Amino acid sequence: MSVASFGATDQLATPPIGPAPAIAEIRHGRAGDIWRAVTRNRKALAGAVILFAFLVFAILPGQIAPDDPTAEIFQPALGASWHHLLGTTAYGQDVFSQLVWGTRLSIVIAFAAGGLATAVAVLVGVSAAYLGGIADGILSLLTDVILVIPIFPLVIVIAAYRRNAGLFTLVVVLGALGWSYGARQLRSQALSLRTRDFLESARVRGERRLYVILFEILPTMTSLIVASFLGAALYAVLTAAGLQFIGLGDPNSQSWGTMLYWAENNEALGAGMPLWALAPGVCIALLGAAFALLNYAFDEISSPALRMRKLERAKLGDLVEPRAGTPPPGEETVLSVRDLTVAYATDAGPVVAVDHVSFDLGRNEFLAIVGESGCGKSTLLYAIARLLGSPLPGEIVGGEVLFDGTNMVVLEEKQLRAIRWRDLSVVMQSAMNALNPVLTVAQQMRDACRAHTSMTDKEIEARSREVLRLVSIDPVHLHSYPHQLSGGMRQRAMIAMALLFTPDLVIMDEPTSALDVVAQRSLMVQIKELQEQLGFAVIFVTHDMSLVSRFTDRLLVMYAGEIVELAPTRQLFDRALHPYSRGLMDAFPSIYGEKVKLLGIPGSPPNLAHPPSGCRFAPRCPLVEERCIAAPPELVRVNHSLVRCVLQETSS
Amino acid sequence: MRFVIRRLGFFVVTLWAAITTNFLIPRLMPGNAALAMMSRYRGRLNPSALHAIEIAFGVKTHQSLLAAYFSYLGNVLRGRFGTSLTFFPDKVAHDVFQALPWTLALVGVTTILAFILGTLIGLVAAWRRGGMLDNLLPPIFVITSAFPYFWLALLSIWLFSIKLGWLPQNGGYDVTTTVGWTWSFVGDAIRHSILPAATILVTSIGGWILTMRNNMISVLAEDYVRMARAKGLSPWRVMWTYAGRNAILPNLTGFAMSLGFVVSGAILVEFVFNYPGVGWMFLQSVENQDYALMQGLFMMIVVAVLTAILAADAATALLDPRTRDVR
Repeated sequence: MSVASFGATDQLATPPIGPAPAIAEIRHGRAGDIWRAVTRNRKALAGAVILFAFLVFAILPGQIAPDDPTAEIFQPALGASWHHLLGTTAYGQDVFSQLVWGTRLSIVIAFAAGGLATAVAVLVGVSAAYLGGIADGILSLLTDVILVIPIFPLVIVIAAYRRNAGLFTLVVVLGALGWSYGARQLRSQALSLRTRDFLESARVRGERRLYVILFEILPTMTSLIVASFLGAALYAVLTAAGLQFIGLGDPNSQSWGTMLYWAENNEALGAGMPLWALAPGVCIALLGAAFALLNYAFDEISSPALRMRKLERAKLGDLVEPRAGTPPPGEETVLSVRDLTVAYATDAGPVVAVDHVSFDLGRNEFLAIVGESGCGKSTLLYAIARLLGSPLPGEIVGGEVLFDGTNMVVLEEKQLRAIRWRDLSVVMQSAMNALNPVLTVAQQMRDACRAHTSMTDKEIEARSREVLRLVSIDPVHLHSYPHQLSGGMRQRAMIAMALLFTPDLVIMDEPTSALDVVAQRSLMVQIKELQEQLGFAVIFVTHDMSLVSRFTDRLLVMYAGEIVELAPTRQLFDRALHPYSRGLMDAFPSIYGEKVKLLGIPGSPPNLAHPPSGCRFAPRCPLVEERCIAAPPELVRVNHSLVRCVLQETSS
Repeated sequence: MRFVIRRLGFFVVTLWAAITTNFLIPRLMPGNAALAMMSRYRGRLNPSALHAIEIAFGVKTHQSLLAAYFSYLGNVLRGRFGTSLTFFPDKVAHDVFQALPWTLALVGVTTILAFILGTLIGLVAAWRRGGMLDNLLPPIFVITSAFPYFWLALLSIWLFSIKLGWLPQNGGYDVTTTVGWTWSFVGDAIRHSILPAATILVTSIGGWILTMRNNMISVLAEDYVRMARAKGLSPWRVMWTYAGRNAILPNLTGFAMSLGFVVSGAILVEFVFNYPGVGWMFLQSVENQDYALMQGLFMMIVVAVLTAILAADAATALLDPRTRDVR
């Protein structure tokens, strides 16, 4: 079979992904997303309902209020009654009517000042991010200065000079001062958008700046813009009410703040007219709460991490039982994974990310798990280590993980703690993220030692130096903070930390992918040497087949949550049985091999919420046949390999 | 070190911006406030009071705007804000420093308390994601943080002073006690501060809880927290040293940014309770059109906020080694 049958896409080492549909989703899905999110989120719904009610008051006060709010025609200081729902003022006005008419001003101020502030925030924030350089520096400084100058006293100072200034002045002042918080957030989001593909492509297409900003950047920031409007509106309502309350508004205007001003001047609370003072305050608080609730909900919508999705962990009894008849692992097996199944909770229901994965790992064995992103490699890894949870909120729903004979799946957190790091340690993809930025390397090593041993500080220090030397780091760096080390050193320091107790198994999640090619090689060599010298087993996750070819004993190829091939490394490189394994091998260059044309696998892994019914690789497979789609293939043994492909079923 | 210098630079720039704003506002307003006031007080003011107004506004017709600006800058930097009309013939600086301790004790203490409490509650709520605290608190505090401070103040006076008669309804102390460092005076001052302090606490704590909770949730998703779990550390250690300590950093920045909001509320709370602090005096000066005092107090508020921000920056530098290094 020739490699050309994979469909030559002339891609260089980057695996192909289809960018076009993703862009369309980002750009056109937003308005719909927001609408759906608002109607689904209870907080947003409550806020929207309150806001709508006040909008009706503001638009139709004449129809709702029974009386003229200014007419002093009733008996003063009446209590609540059917005619005067909220009683009357000390001047004989109907409180309820005043309240209804007062809505209009608050709403107008909220929307006008909020809108103005948001417009300025968008203008400043987006231009700062888009222009960059000195313009960004000046605009950001301006934003920060306005942010920290206490606005309310400043507004009071202005109002003191322009007493009884009209609505227009108030709106302009509130709008001109209330934009800074939103501008700051919009700037940072716009900055993060700047390097996105779809903007690059717009730039390459030669679109004009204004067009790019208006039609490419702004739509993707909709939810943040809405959030900053809501924040500004809330602020405007509270500030305006405060001003009116202390008598700096127009005392003849109809507003809730002004009502409170007159109520306070007449000591309404003490003089038996509590409703006069309570009702407008309730209205301000309600309107404020409406904006705050909507704002909070939008926060949740724009950062999905805040939304809680929970998949109840299956009761231990409900765990999918491993198939009967598997013999207990022997002495030489450090880890035995059986029918391990992991599911994620999503809005659309649970999604199985790791599907009945079984394999054994011998002591001192070096196993690599390979596959594209999204194939379940990392999920499998963290499920074995029992480290699932945010940001991978998966749950083990079935199977066993026998580690040194103990089933990790059923252990309590406390029992797990005793095993962790002593017997099983983890090395992560990026030490920059995996090392605590506010503690020194020494402190982080000490934490681990204190959790598991009763070593003295001196012994801990000595051991820490020793493991640093193991990975060829000069121990002078022991008391450095992670950010003070170079990328390669950080990565080594993390590996050193994993070897503190010389565990039986070290789990490595792409520990070299953050490094350049040369550093990757030397780190791999070092890991291999340490592994042979200290005799621990390694599970090594990577998407780069060529990187691990010289170091691993066996390769486990994963696709769409399943094992598609498990074979000794040499054998797999000589003759990969599964078309996917072959595709992966052709996607990466070999440093030592001759120059060959690099090929990718067209398409991308399936959405695990709706995996293809037959073979999961069938839609992308160059050798696909009718029977591939008919039924999912079994994992079958061919010589020393396990493979999941119907082509092999017949040949075996 | 560069971090500290940069923040000090920001302090200076902001202070300069505030002083300049203070200088420009009366001059940009249509109609000359100073002249209007002088004509209003004509005959009732002695020459030194007139001079005070002149200093506050730089009203010396023979001076150019630029020269006026620089002499104003000089005066402000030396703490010369002129003479108060409300408390004539007190110097503005003297009045400001009389009000300051009250505000520092009330607003300062409650703000710090609210920040610490709110941060702790937010931290625990996020740690026990989906627990009682986490489900109950956010919606409650989203709503309370939207309450107008002054209305809550009115409400608490009505309930606890007028209806129940538990606590005094206004002032910083009972006028019949003698002011001084005696037990009875301090006790009385504390009794007077309970209601205003509770008002500020209740309305401002929500913001800290919510931001800390959200920070903590995103920090809990970080690799270093997972790594801490992988190391088999006790949950306590993971929560504080790994998650909490990192989550509090953005909250400190948030503290600096939301301080203006808290101060605005505190001004109104002091006003409602007739509490003899900076906020109350500020509004008095506005009411009496005592512009010199008003400007002096405004500068005091700005300086106080900026100092608090510097303190937050210092705390950040202390907790985050990355800010301490030259980048």
